[in-house]
Amino acid sequence: MPVWDISNAKHLLSRCLFGYSRKDLEQALSYPTLEEFVEKSLLASLPLPPPPGDWVNENPVANNGTADGDRYRSMTYWWYNQQLGEKLNMREKMVLFWHNHFVSERDKVNFPQHMYRQNTLFRRSAWGNFRQLTKEVTIDPAMLIYLDGRLSSGNTPNENYARELMELFTLGIGNYTETDVKQAALALTGWQVNGLNATFNPNRFSNTTKTFLGKTGNFAYGDIVDIILEKPQAAEFICQKLYKEFIFYKPNETFVKQMADVFRKNNYEIRPVLSFMLTSDEFYKTDYKGAKIKSPMETTIGILKAFDMTPAQMNPTADWAYVYTQSQALQQQLFFPPSVQGWVGQRDWINSTTFVVRGGFSDNVVNMMGNARAVQFKNISAPVDYARSYKTSEDAVKFVDDVVTLFLQFPLSAQKKDALVRTLLGGTILANWSTSTPGADVQLKVFFKAVMRLPEFQLA
Amino acid sequence: MNRKEFIQQLSLISGGVAFGMGNIPVKAFAHNPFALNLEATNGKIFVLVQLSGGNDGLNTVVPYENPLYYNKRANIAIKKESVLPLTSQMGLNPAMSALKALYDNGKMSIVQNVGYPSPNRSHFRSTDIWLTASDANEVLDEGWVGRYLTQLYPGFPLQIPDQPMAIQLGAVESLLIQSDLGSTGVVFNDPNNFYNLVKGTSVDTDPIPNTLAGEELKFMRQVASQSVAYSDIIKKKWDNATKNVTSFPSTNLGTQLKIVGELISGGLQTPFYLTTIGGFDTHANQVVANATTTGTHANLLKTVSEAVAAFQKDMTKRGLGDKVVVMTFSEFGRRVSQNGTMGTDHGSAAPLFVVGNSVLGGLIGKNPVLSDVDSNGDIKYEFDFRQVYTSVLQDYLGVERAMATTIMGNKEFKTVPIFKPVPDTTLATNPDFNLEQNFPNPFSDLTRITYTINKQMYIKLALYDLMGREIEVLREGMAQNGSYTIPINGLNWTPGYYLCMLRCDAGQKVIRLVKM
Repeated sequence: MPVWDISNAKHLLSRCLFGYSRKDLEQALSYPTLEEFVEKSLLASLPLPPPPGDWVNENPVANNGTADGDRYRSMTYWWYNQQLGEKLNMREKMVLFWHNHFVSERDKVNFPQHMYRQNTLFRRSAWGNFRQLTKEVTIDPAMLIYLDGRLSSGNTPNENYARELMELFTLGIGNYTETDVKQAALALTGWQVNGLNATFNPNRFSNTTKTFLGKTGNFAYGDIVDIILEKPQAAEFICQKLYKEFIFYKPNETFVKQMADVFRKNNYEIRPVLSFMLTSDEFYKTDYKGAKIKSPMETTIGILKAFDMTPAQMNPTADWAYVYTQSQALQQQLFFPPSVQGWVGQRDWINSTTFVVRGGFSDNVVNMMGNARAVQFKNISAPVDYARSYKTSEDAVKFVDDVVTLFLQFPLSAQKKDALVRTLLGGTILANWSTSTPGADVQLKVFFKAVMRLPEFQLA
Repeated sequence: MNRKEFIQQLSLISGGVAFGMGNIPVKAFAHNPFALNLEATNGKIFVLVQLSGGNDGLNTVVPYENPLYYNKRANIAIKKESVLPLTSQMGLNPAMSALKALYDNGKMSIVQNVGYPSPNRSHFRSTDIWLTASDANEVLDEGWVGRYLTQLYPGFPLQIPDQPMAIQLGAVESLLIQSDLGSTGVVFNDPNNFYNLVKGTSVDTDPIPNTLAGEELKFMRQVASQSVAYSDIIKKKWDNATKNVTSFPSTNLGTQLKIVGELISGGLQTPFYLTTIGGFDTHANQVVANATTTGTHANLLKTVSEAVAAFQKDMTKRGLGDKVVVMTFSEFGRRVSQNGTMGTDHGSAAPLFVVGNSVLGGLIGKNPVLSDVDSNGDIKYEFDFRQVYTSVLQDYLGVERAMATTIMGNKEFKTVPIFKPVPDTTLATNPDFNLEQNFPNPFSDLTRITYTINKQMYIKLALYDLMGREIEVLREGMAQNGSYTIPINGLNWTPGYYLCMLRCDAGQKVIRLVKM
């Protein structure tokens, strides 16, 4: 069992949460062992949050004016709040994982009610049973709309869902034939969306014998999922995806096979395989620390968490609206992945434009600290108050070291630390540094901006 | 050039290069003596329009006299009386009248049935195959344009050209412009916005740890370096351009192509542009029932047609018509038979469009054969898409056959008569000196470097790693006329890329060495 020390704790939190504060880290380390923290905190079961509005239970109405757009926006803010308020539990990270796995896009699904219901399914099943989840997703209204299942009927089906079910959701490319796609498409027919719900219409079902992945019968959607999950590639495919999200984007296939073994032995229960992965020596290898490029949500929410912001302090129309436009610019708009493949992540997050937008976001957040004319993040701590929450705030060298150690997974060179100390000091000399000197607030802001502008800060 | 100036310039290159150029002021790049010059591509510019999602070829270029087409697409076919006839058999979707006009003027070639053997019907895999120019069963992580550009500029990334080698209008960098040596392009939506965003960004030159995280850090630094290096010149050139010479449709693609036109006319020498339009995955309701000339697919085709036609008009008005060619492509066509939801599922071969003054014009290839489809019900390909790429490289960009073959993964593809014949455009070589490609290359231990000097002058021949560090000076001093061969033993070198540069009063040349 890996040791439960500050380096491992930072690594675990940076991967399983959207970010963490100094207090979060201290609280995590107050658990006696890694295993206890994983079982009792990260993977603790939680009640479902109240919905973003009563409208979630309203029957969808076409041509609803701007209502649906407004609701999508408020639901996105609501999800930001869940992420910012995640505490030390990884459920929200898993909700995003499943959103990025069983992809649906708001522009095609149209009605926010359906996307809310799908989001709730992911939250309910965050580490539930994958077989059950796949079956539920297959007849989930949003998915039936997104991949055309609701239109597919009889003996001239639409192959859209059948293909993606195997290619992207369960098996991976190369583990099925074009005939399997066509046969599965037949078995998946018959489901429609009525109002908020999916309903089965036997007259639209292709009531014929299908031959699928070597088995023959009059299969329906549940059989298709069961037959798929008999193939060992399914467990490996999902574990590979978990590995890529939580450990490193280039999977260690030997370890993935061990994960898949745990997954199958537990009849596709997700919790045991997460627990196995998060307490493995593999997860904590030095090489992987700091090797993940943060997603835009990890970057934006993470910066707010770093400065101890809570959902109660957020103003939707100013603060969340800003996060919304910035995460769009950074290419991650929740409920709106770019394609059925989802966000690819890692290096795809970074290009000549998005890299610089990240720096602009952190600059802006820091600029609002202690700023009487702040237009966003009015409730963020003043720089001096934030600095004084560190015991070392009056010792420039130690303070820089503390901040850098807390927020970077990456060891900084001595030269770089020196440069940061000089940045903090501005014109003054080391011996004169104090958060009480006039101008300390300005220097602190310059320093925080410099830390968050480091490419190292983009790594989790 | 005297020795002092020479050494100053050299230190400028080898000091501020590759992944660690941030502390070198941007100005250093503006005066980079190794500016990318247009002679390298004969001044030609190539613009790609990616139709993402799999464009339905049969409803784009319609076989309007083929009863099988109407039989297999009873609800979604474009009626004969609606098509814009190109020949007695084939016609364009009526949404594409703007491109029809270009076709009639000989400014558009249509290549039919473009695909590849063993077609893959996954969006993502097939897109990668098209972007990397790989075989169906081969996974590459370099785009074909990335490969072309790194061949063209062997000094990359040790020397980065003073203008971007490729520009992508968009948001997520395409595999098309990635290479083993890093990204060859910059990505942005708007030059002004890009410039403003980059202000305040700097790149440090700290040593990078030799770990996995270090690799990611290096990647980010390179991207940041290119932003810093290029946002300035992009903005400057864009500001130069006269705006609104042509009215562009206010679609996303229209805006992308409008910006491309402005950058080109402002004098940016970047030879490659990528633009993208999505939404072609028309599984359901691709047409409106009983009004098949309307609906999702018609709207998409109209958008493409009007944007590309506006771009061609813009380039012509600006007197740049001979410098630019636009080509469309999509990861696959769609199934011959309609499905039961007024749409089509994933298919294989499909037509593509090439537009510009340099094209021969006309419809190339057989009309799609609907009676002899593959086991999946899809059209068999007639032209490999890499034949089209090879034609672009050789017949438009003037790339030598051997280099085109290298770029296509050491495979030779027969060209397709898309372009007007051009006079032999072999690049002029410097009469005063030459540095040949080392042989063998790649190598594991011994290789030889040969150079020729045709007048007495000061030279420096040295080896560098990709961090720009000088490894060894092979020759330095006054050199006499002659041809010289230097054996090199790289047995103890770490496998990877190395550069050898010959600098002399008459100019400089770089070759890239690959140690296995």
